[in-house]
Parts: sequence; structure tokens; C-alpha cells
Amino acid sequence: MKELARLLNDMREAGVIVNYALFGAVAQMRYAEPVATLDADVLVLVPGEERLDVLKSIYEFCATKGFHPTGETIEVGSWPVQFIPVFSLLTKEALEEAETADFDGVPFRVVRAAHLAVIALSVGRAKDFTRILALLEAGSVNRQEVGQLAAKHELANHWRRFEERFLNE
Amino acid sequence: MSEVLRRFERQTDLQKTRQTLPWPEKVRMVEKIRESIKQLRAAPSRKGAAPPHVSSEQKPPFSFF
Repeated sequence: MKELARLLNDMREAGVIVNYALFGAVAQMRYAEPVATLDADVLVLVPGEERLDVLKSIYEFCATKGFHPTGETIEVGSWPVQFIPVFSLLTKEALEEAETADFDGVPFRVVRAAHLAVIALSVGRAKDFTRILALLEAGSVNRQEVGQLAAKHELANHWRRFEERFLNE
Repeated sequence: MSEVLRRFERQTDLQKTRQTLPWPEKVRMVEKIRESIKQLRAAPSRKGAAPPHVSSEQKPPFSFF
């Protein structure tokens, strides 16, 4: 994972990406208990997003560093990594407002807990609901914070349904 | 209270202590068990052969810890 942090920082310094932020299960672990996962997900903001193949320059940069694709991921150390261009205002904001964590001495941008919860809410699979509950139980976010962010991104109905289903007695 | 419930309580307490571990430590814990997870997910079921490959889409919606 440290190798991935270094790679992403180098990629940003080289101008291949504007910025990045780790999200998904590996980011979730920063705020709650460890969860089993096979791969790492990284949000990226790429210059010239209107290009058809927005990930090409990322793949090329990784190749120069000795990291090669396997299916839809790139193997970085022991982790298959999926690069996901920001795809909504929510994910763009999540990337912009990410925190810089310290991963064994290497700076590593990670999506904040509230954004992780609302992204999970927007996806809405069973495992995403589990993640929201884990973040709430760990005290990394509170209901009001998630509710406000959900409303900002037009997910107030999703949040209300989630509360009714899982949080209200 | 039954012994089973006491076991669940102890397990829950253990899981909560893991929340407070440093993030790199949690990631290393997961790295250690990833090979086992892959093998478990690729193992043949009673009804048939092993799935052709293991993808991220096959992750179960629960924590292993």
C-alpha cells in the first residue's frame, strides 16, 4: 500500500493526474474496523477529462514504473488497483476535500468518512449499507453529518430510507 | 445469559479494539489474509467446479473480522 501511495504522489507531481484520493474498502479501514477486500480503489482527476481514453496516461505512467495491468486493474505491489475518474459532483468533491493521511511516513490522500458514507449511500448495495453502519458505529461520522451531505447531493430520500430501514426503532 | 451470547459479546469487543489500530496496521492485517480469502472464494462449491476467476464483484457484503 505504501508503494501505491508513492506511485500516486509521483503521478500527481508528474502532472499525469491533477489529484487523487483513495476510497472504497481500504479507505474505509482508516475510519472503522478492517474489512476483507481484494483490491484498492482510487478516484482520480485527470487533466483534459473530455478525452475518450482518460486512463491511458495513467496506464502509461504505471508501465514506466514497472506496474502493469491485469484485467481492469493495475498490480501495484500486492494490490490490484482500480483507477476511477471522478464521475459526479459528489466524487469530485470527495476527491477535492480528501484528507492527507500518513501511511508509514508517506503522505496518502484518503476520502473523508462522510464522503465515503454518502458515496456508499449513492451506490446502495448491501455491502455499501454495511459500510455506512460501520462508519456510524465507529463514530467516524454522525447521522446529521451524513444527512446534510446527502441532501447537498440530492440524496436526501436515499438517506431517509436508510434511516428508516436501519437506524430508526 | 448463555455461553453463546457471552462469546458474541467478547467477539464484538475484540472487533471494536481493532477499530482503534493505526490504519497501516489494519491494511497489513488484510494483506496477510488476502491469499486465504482468494483461495476460499475460488474453492469449488458442493454443486460444481470452482468459478473461472476471482473478481472484485464477488466480494461478500460483510467483514471478515
